[in-house]
Amino acid sequence: MAEYKIPKRVKYRRQHRGRMQGTAARGAEIAFGEYGLKALEPAWITGKQIEASRVAITRFIKRGGKVWIRIFPDKPITKKPAETRMGKGKGAPEGWVAVVKPGRVLFELEGVDEKTAREAIRLAAQKLPIKTRFISRKDQEGGGLV
Amino acid sequence: MIKDLTINASLREGFGKGPSRRLRAQGMIPVAVYGEEKPPVAVAVNAKEIAAILRSETGHNTIFNLAVPQENGEAESATVIIKDWQVDPVKGQLLHADLLRLSLTTATQVNVSIEIVGEPVGVKTHGGLLDLQMREVQIECLPGDIPEHIQLDVSDMLVGDHAKVADLICDRERITILTDENLIVAGVLAPRLAEVAEPSAEEAAVEGAEPEVIKKSEE
Repeated sequence: MAEYKIPKRVKYRRQHRGRMQGTAARGAEIAFGEYGLKALEPAWITGKQIEASRVAITRFIKRGGKVWIRIFPDKPITKKPAETRMGKGKGAPEGWVAVVKPGRVLFELEGVDEKTAREAIRLAAQKLPIKTRFISRKDQEGGGLV
Repeated sequence: MIKDLTINASLREGFGKGPSRRLRAQGMIPVAVYGEEKPPVAVAVNAKEIAAILRSETGHNTIFNLAVPQENGEAESATVIIKDWQVDPVKGQLLHADLLRLSLTTATQVNVSIEIVGEPVGVKTHGGLLDLQMREVQIECLPGDIPEHIQLDVSDMLVGDHAKVADLICDRERITILTDENLIVAGVLAPRLAEVAEPSAEEAAVEGAEPEVIKKSEE
Protein backbone atom coordinates (compact mmCIF):
# COMPACT_ATOMS: atom_id res chain seq x y z
CA MET A 1 0.00 0.00 0.00
CA ALA A 2 1.22 3.41 -0.91
CA GLU A 3 2.10 5.74 1.92
CA TYR A 4 1.73 9.46 1.49
CA LYS A 5 1.32 12.57 3.59
CA ILE A 6 -2.09 13.63 4.89
CA PRO A 7 -3.09 16.33 7.39
CA LYS A 8 -2.62 15.39 11.04
CA ARG A 9 -5.80 17.14 12.21
CA VAL A 10 -8.79 18.46 10.26
CA LYS A 11 -11.75 20.58 11.26
CA TYR A 12 -14.25 18.71 9.10
CA ARG A 13 -14.13 15.17 7.70
CA ARG A 14 -15.71 16.12 4.34
CA GLN A 15 -15.37 19.21 2.09
CA HIS A 16 -17.30 20.69 -0.82
CA ARG A 17 -15.68 20.12 -4.21
CA GLY A 18 -15.15 23.79 -5.03
CA ARG A 19 -14.04 25.36 -8.33
CA MET A 20 -10.59 25.67 -9.87
CA GLN A 21 -10.86 28.97 -11.74
CA GLY A 22 -8.04 31.32 -12.66
CA THR A 23 -4.31 30.95 -12.21
CA ALA A 24 -2.14 30.43 -9.16
CA ALA A 25 -1.89 33.68 -7.22
CA ARG A 26 0.81 32.38 -4.88
CA GLY A 27 3.45 29.67 -5.12
CA ALA A 28 4.00 30.45 -8.81
CA GLU A 29 7.76 31.14 -8.52
CA ILE A 30 10.78 29.10 -7.53
CA ALA A 31 11.39 29.92 -3.85
CA PHE A 32 13.87 27.35 -2.52
CA GLY A 33 15.75 25.40 -5.21
CA GLU A 34 17.39 25.95 -8.57
CA TYR A 35 14.99 24.06 -10.85
CA GLY A 36 11.28 23.34 -10.67
CA LEU A 37 8.19 21.83 -12.22
CA LYS A 38 5.32 24.17 -13.03
CA ALA A 39 1.70 23.13 -13.61
CA LEU A 40 0.09 24.46 -16.79
CA GLU A 41 -3.42 23.10 -16.16
CA PRO A 42 -5.78 23.00 -13.17
CA ALA A 43 -6.20 19.63 -11.43
CA TRP A 44 -6.71 17.70 -8.25
CA ILE A 45 -3.34 16.04 -7.65
CA THR A 46 -3.75 13.06 -5.34
CA GLY A 47 -1.40 12.23 -2.50
CA LYS A 48 -0.43 9.06 -4.35
CA GLN A 49 0.56 11.02 -7.47
CA ILE A 50 2.64 13.46 -5.42
CA GLU A 51 4.40 10.56 -3.68
CA ALA A 52 5.01 8.76 -7.00
CA SER A 53 6.61 11.93 -8.44
CA ARG A 54 8.75 12.42 -5.33
CA VAL A 55 10.00 8.83 -5.50
CA ALA A 56 10.77 9.23 -9.23
CA ILE A 57 12.89 12.33 -8.53
CA THR A 58 14.77 10.93 -5.49
CA ARG A 59 15.50 7.62 -7.26
CA PHE A 60 16.94 9.41 -10.28
CA ILE A 61 19.10 11.91 -8.43
CA LYS A 62 20.21 9.18 -5.96
CA ARG A 63 22.38 10.67 -3.21
CA GLY A 64 22.90 14.18 -4.51
CA GLY A 65 20.45 17.03 -4.51
CA LYS A 66 17.63 18.30 -2.37
CA VAL A 67 13.93 18.16 -3.24
CA TRP A 68 11.09 20.41 -2.12
CA ILE A 69 7.43 19.44 -2.54
CA ARG A 70 5.48 22.67 -2.88
CA ILE A 71 1.96 21.20 -2.75
CA PHE A 72 0.20 19.29 0.03
CA PRO A 73 -2.90 17.09 -0.30
CA ASP A 74 -5.14 18.80 2.27
CA LYS A 75 -8.53 18.31 0.61
CA PRO A 76 -10.49 15.13 1.47
CA ILE A 77 -12.24 13.38 -1.41
CA THR A 78 -15.28 11.21 -0.82
CA LYS A 79 -16.74 8.40 -2.87
CA LYS A 80 -20.02 6.52 -2.69
CA PRO A 81 -19.80 2.71 -2.77
CA ALA A 82 -20.52 0.96 -6.08
CA GLU A 83 -24.16 0.17 -6.96
CA THR A 84 -25.53 2.56 -4.32
CA ARG A 85 -28.67 4.60 -4.93
CA MET A 86 -28.34 8.39 -4.83
CA GLY A 87 -29.03 10.18 -1.56
CA LYS A 88 -28.49 8.90 1.97
CA GLY A 89 -25.77 11.44 2.61
CA LYS A 90 -22.29 12.15 1.28
CA GLY A 91 -19.93 9.23 0.64
CA ALA A 92 -17.07 8.06 2.79
CA PRO A 93 -13.65 9.82 2.62
CA GLU A 94 -11.52 7.94 0.10
CA GLY A 95 -8.35 9.95 -0.34
CA TRP A 96 -6.64 13.32 -0.26
CA VAL A 97 -5.86 15.76 -3.06
CA ALA A 98 -4.01 19.06 -3.54
CA VAL A 99 -5.91 21.68 -5.54
CA VAL A 100 -3.50 22.91 -8.23
CA LYS A 101 -4.13 25.90 -10.47
CA PRO A 102 -2.14 26.76 -13.63
CA GLY A 103 1.20 28.38 -12.83
CA ARG A 104 1.72 26.59 -9.51
CA VAL A 105 5.24 25.29 -8.80
CA LEU A 106 4.84 21.63 -7.80
CA PHE A 107 8.41 20.51 -7.07
CA GLU A 108 11.78 22.18 -6.66
CA LEU A 109 15.24 20.69 -6.94
CA GLU A 110 18.76 21.81 -5.99
CA GLY A 111 22.29 20.41 -5.87
CA VAL A 112 22.30 18.67 -9.27
CA ASP A 113 23.33 19.79 -12.76
CA GLU A 114 20.69 20.99 -15.22
CA LYS A 115 20.76 17.82 -17.33
CA THR A 116 20.06 15.60 -14.29
CA ALA A 117 17.41 18.02 -13.04
CA ARG A 118 15.63 18.03 -16.42
CA GLU A 119 15.50 14.23 -16.53
CA ALA A 120 14.37 13.92 -12.88
CA ILE A 121 11.66 16.51 -13.46
CA ARG A 122 10.58 14.76 -16.69
CA LEU A 123 10.19 11.47 -14.81
CA ALA A 124 8.19 13.22 -12.08
CA ALA A 125 5.95 14.95 -14.65
CA GLN A 126 5.05 11.57 -16.14
CA LYS A 127 3.36 10.60 -12.87
CA LEU A 128 1.04 13.62 -12.95
CA PRO A 129 -2.32 14.00 -14.75
CA ILE A 130 -1.57 17.47 -16.16
CA LYS A 131 0.66 19.31 -18.62
CA THR A 132 3.71 20.76 -16.90
CA ARG A 133 6.85 22.75 -17.73
CA PHE A 134 10.45 22.63 -16.50
CA ILE A 135 11.52 25.99 -15.03
CA SER A 136 14.81 27.27 -13.64
CA ARG A 137 15.82 30.08 -11.31
CA LYS A 138 18.10 31.48 -14.01
CA ASP A 139 15.07 32.12 -16.24
CA GLN A 140 13.12 33.50 -13.29
CA GLU A 141 15.85 35.99 -12.40
CA GLY A 142 15.75 37.15 -16.01
CA GLY A 143 12.22 38.38 -15.38
CA GLY A 144 10.53 34.96 -15.38
CA LEU A 145 9.78 35.53 -19.04
CA VAL A 146 9.27 32.73 -21.54
CA MET B 1 24.98 49.33 -13.57
CA ILE B 2 24.36 52.41 -15.70
CA LYS B 3 23.59 51.73 -19.35
CA ASP B 4 23.53 54.27 -22.12
CA LEU B 5 20.05 53.25 -23.20
CA THR B 6 16.93 55.33 -23.75
CA ILE B 7 13.46 53.84 -23.88
CA ASN B 8 10.59 55.83 -25.29
CA ALA B 9 7.35 55.91 -23.35
CA SER B 10 3.93 57.19 -24.35
CA LEU B 11 1.36 58.67 -22.01
CA ARG B 12 -1.56 56.38 -21.24
CA GLU B 13 -5.02 57.49 -22.28
CA GLY B 14 -7.21 54.87 -20.63
CA PHE B 15 -6.86 53.13 -17.29
CA GLY B 16 -8.15 49.90 -15.79
CA LYS B 17 -8.58 46.35 -17.02
CA GLY B 18 -9.92 46.93 -20.55
CA PRO B 19 -7.46 49.62 -21.77
CA SER B 20 -4.56 47.71 -20.14
CA ARG B 21 -5.48 44.53 -22.00
CA ARG B 22 -5.78 46.41 -25.30
CA LEU B 23 -2.34 47.90 -24.61
CA ARG B 24 -0.83 44.44 -24.01
CA ALA B 25 -2.40 43.15 -27.23
CA GLN B 26 -0.36 45.82 -29.08
CA GLY B 27 2.89 44.61 -27.47
CA MET B 28 3.00 47.42 -24.89
CA ILE B 29 2.72 47.22 -21.10
CA PRO B 30 1.38 49.72 -18.55
CA VAL B 31 4.23 51.22 -16.50
CA ALA B 32 4.15 53.42 -13.40
CA VAL B 33 7.02 55.90 -13.01
CA TYR B 34 7.56 57.44 -9.58
CA GLY B 35 10.19 58.72 -7.14
CA GLU B 36 12.43 61.76 -6.64
CA GLU B 37 9.52 63.66 -5.02
CA LYS B 38 7.84 64.16 -8.38
CA PRO B 39 4.24 63.13 -9.09
CA PRO B 40 3.76 59.56 -10.38
CA VAL B 41 3.16 59.19 -14.12
CA ALA B 42 1.29 56.36 -15.88
CA VAL B 43 2.93 55.53 -19.20
CA ALA B 44 3.04 52.71 -21.75
CA VAL B 45 6.32 51.13 -22.85
CA ASN B 46 7.24 48.44 -25.38
CA ALA B 47 7.22 45.13 -23.45
CA LYS B 48 10.14 43.71 -25.44
CA GLU B 49 12.43 46.57 -24.41
CA ILE B 50 11.74 46.05 -20.68
CA ALA B 51 12.04 42.25 -21.11
CA ALA B 52 15.44 42.70 -22.79
CA ILE B 53 16.66 44.74 -19.79
CA LEU B 54 15.44 42.08 -17.33
CA ARG B 55 17.20 39.34 -19.34
CA SER B 56 20.48 41.26 -19.54
CA GLU B 57 23.46 40.51 -17.24
CA THR B 58 22.65 43.46 -14.99
CA GLY B 59 18.95 42.47 -14.89
CA HIS B 60 16.55 44.57 -12.82
CA ASN B 61 19.44 46.66 -11.45
CA THR B 62 20.09 48.20 -14.88
CA ILE B 63 19.89 52.01 -14.78
CA PHE B 64 18.60 53.49 -18.03
CA ASN B 65 16.86 56.58 -19.39
CA LEU B 66 13.15 56.85 -19.96
CA ALA B 67 11.85 59.52 -22.34
CA VAL B 68 8.44 60.56 -21.02
CA PRO B 69 6.40 62.85 -23.31
CA GLN B 70 5.01 66.01 -21.71
CA GLU B 71 1.72 67.70 -22.46
CA ASN B 72 3.52 70.47 -24.38
CA GLY B 73 4.85 67.85 -26.81
CA GLU B 74 8.44 67.76 -25.57
CA ALA B 75 9.98 64.64 -24.03
CA GLU B 76 11.49 64.72 -20.53
CA SER B 77 14.26 62.22 -19.83
CA ALA B 78 14.41 60.50 -16.43
CA THR B 79 17.04 58.14 -15.05
CA VAL B 80 15.17 55.07 -13.82
CA ILE B 81 15.60 51.56 -12.44
CA ILE B 82 13.10 48.67 -12.53
CA LYS B 83 11.64 48.60 -9.02
CA ASP B 84 9.09 45.82 -9.53
CA TRP B 85 7.46 43.83 -12.32
CA GLN B 86 4.61 41.38 -12.83
CA VAL B 87 4.72 38.29 -15.02
CA ASP B 88 1.84 36.03 -16.10
CA PRO B 89 2.37 32.84 -14.04
CA VAL B 90 1.51 30.54 -16.96
CA LYS B 91 2.45 32.34 -20.18
CA GLY B 92 5.51 34.09 -18.73
CA GLN B 93 4.58 37.38 -20.42
CA LEU B 94 5.44 40.69 -18.82
CA LEU B 95 2.24 42.35 -17.54
CA HIS B 96 3.32 45.50 -15.70
CA ALA B 97 6.42 47.28 -14.41
CA ASP B 98 7.22 49.91 -11.80
CA LEU B 99 10.10 52.27 -12.63
CA LEU B 100 11.78 54.31 -9.90
CA ARG B 101 13.34 57.66 -10.74
CA LEU B 102 16.91 57.93 -9.43
CA SER B 103 19.37 60.68 -8.72
CA LEU B 104 22.91 59.61 -9.60
CA THR B 105 24.26 61.54 -6.61
CA THR B 106 22.00 60.05 -3.94
CA ALA B 107 22.52 56.61 -2.38
CA THR B 108 19.82 54.08 -3.19
CA GLN B 109 18.79 50.69 -1.78
CA VAL B 110 18.68 47.69 -4.14
CA ASN B 111 18.76 43.90 -3.95
CA VAL B 112 21.79 42.30 -5.60
CA SER B 113 22.17 38.60 -6.34
CA ILE B 114 24.90 36.52 -4.72
CA GLU B 115 27.33 34.75 -7.06
CA ILE B 116 28.94 31.57 -5.71
CA VAL B 117 32.64 31.28 -6.56
CA GLY B 118 34.40 27.90 -6.52
CA GLU B 119 33.31 24.46 -5.40
CA PRO B 120 33.48 23.66 -1.67
CA VAL B 121 36.04 21.04 -0.55
CA GLY B 122 33.22 19.38 1.38
CA VAL B 123 31.28 18.88 -1.87
CA LYS B 124 34.26 17.93 -4.04
CA THR B 125 35.93 15.38 -1.76
CA HIS B 126 33.34 14.43 0.87
CA GLY B 127 30.21 14.33 -1.25
CA GLY B 128 28.38 17.04 0.74
CA LEU B 129 25.64 19.30 -0.61
CA LEU B 130 26.00 23.07 -0.92
CA ASP B 131 22.82 24.50 0.57
CA LEU B 132 22.06 28.13 -0.34
CA GLN B 133 19.96 29.88 2.32
CA MET B 134 20.06 33.30 0.69
CA ARG B 135 20.33 34.26 -2.96
CA GLU B 136 20.37 38.03 -2.78
CA VAL B 137 21.25 40.76 -0.29
CA GLN B 138 20.01 44.30 0.16
CA ILE B 139 22.69 46.93 -0.30
CA GLU B 140 22.91 50.73 -0.23
CA CYS B 141 25.22 52.61 -2.57
CA LEU B 142 25.31 55.26 -5.26
CA PRO B 143 23.49 54.16 -8.43
CA GLY B 144 26.78 54.13 -10.33
CA ASP B 145 28.33 51.68 -7.85
CA ILE B 146 25.62 48.97 -8.02
CA PRO B 147 27.48 45.72 -8.78
CA GLU B 148 26.18 42.99 -11.12
CA HIS B 149 26.66 40.37 -8.39
CA ILE B 150 28.18 40.14 -4.94
CA GLN B 151 30.57 37.22 -4.76
CA LEU B 152 30.91 34.55 -2.08
CA ASP B 153 33.98 32.30 -2.13
CA VAL B 154 32.94 28.85 -0.92
CA SER B 155 36.00 26.88 -2.11
CA ASP B 156 37.44 26.37 1.43
CA MET B 157 34.20 25.19 3.02
CA LEU B 158 34.11 21.73 4.59
CA VAL B 159 31.07 19.66 5.55
CA GLY B 160 29.28 21.48 8.37
CA ASP B 161 30.80 24.89 7.56
CA HIS B 162 28.65 27.97 7.03
CA ALA B 163 29.26 31.28 5.27
CA LYS B 164 27.61 34.42 6.61
CA VAL B 165 26.65 37.75 5.05
CA ALA B 166 29.85 39.16 6.61
CA ASP B 167 31.88 36.80 4.35
CA LEU B 168 30.54 38.36 1.13
CA ILE B 169 33.20 39.97 -1.05
CA CYS B 170 32.44 43.55 -2.05
CA ASP B 171 33.90 47.04 -1.87
CA ARG B 172 32.81 47.94 1.69
CA GLU B 173 33.87 51.56 1.32
CA ARG B 174 31.38 52.20 -1.45
CA ILE B 175 28.74 49.55 -0.71
CA THR B 176 26.86 49.13 2.59
CA ILE B 177 25.22 45.75 3.08
CA LEU B 178 21.88 46.29 4.84
CA THR B 179 21.09 42.61 5.37
CA ASP B 180 22.08 41.37 8.87
CA GLU B 181 25.78 40.39 8.75
CA ASN B 182 25.18 37.34 10.98
CA LEU B 183 22.66 35.66 8.70
CA ILE B 184 23.82 32.47 7.00
CA VAL B 185 24.17 32.63 3.21
CA ALA B 186 25.30 29.09 2.45
CA GLY B 187 26.29 25.89 4.22
CA VAL B 188 27.69 22.51 3.26
CA LEU B 189 25.36 19.72 4.37
CA ALA B 190 26.54 16.20 5.15
CA PRO B 191 25.91 13.66 2.39
CA ARG B 192 22.75 11.60 2.70
CA LEU B 193 23.55 8.02 3.67
CA ALA B 194 20.44 6.58 2.10
CA GLU B 195 17.34 7.77 0.34
CA VAL B 196 15.44 9.92 2.84
CA ALA B 197 12.51 7.89 4.06
CA GLU B 198 9.96 10.59 3.52
CA PRO B 199 7.15 10.77 4.55
CA SER B 200 7.87 9.91 8.17
CA ALA B 201 5.86 7.22 9.93
CA GLU B 202 3.92 9.82 11.94
CA GLU B 203 2.76 11.81 8.95
CA ALA B 204 2.40 9.00 6.46
CA ALA B 205 -0.97 7.55 5.88
CA VAL B 206 -1.73 4.05 4.86
CA GLU B 207 -4.62 4.09 2.42
CA GLY B 208 -7.89 4.60 4.27
CA ALA B 209 -6.37 6.12 7.43
CA GLU B 210 -8.10 9.26 8.69
CA PRO B 211 -6.74 12.27 10.57
CA GLU B 212 -8.06 13.40 13.90
CA VAL B 213 -11.11 15.70 13.65
CA ILE B 214 -10.86 18.85 15.78
CA LYS B 215 -13.85 18.93 18.13
CA LYS B 216 -15.73 22.16 18.91
CA SER B 217 -14.53 22.23 22.52
CA GLU B 218 -10.88 22.15 21.34
CA GLU B 219 -11.22 25.22 19.05
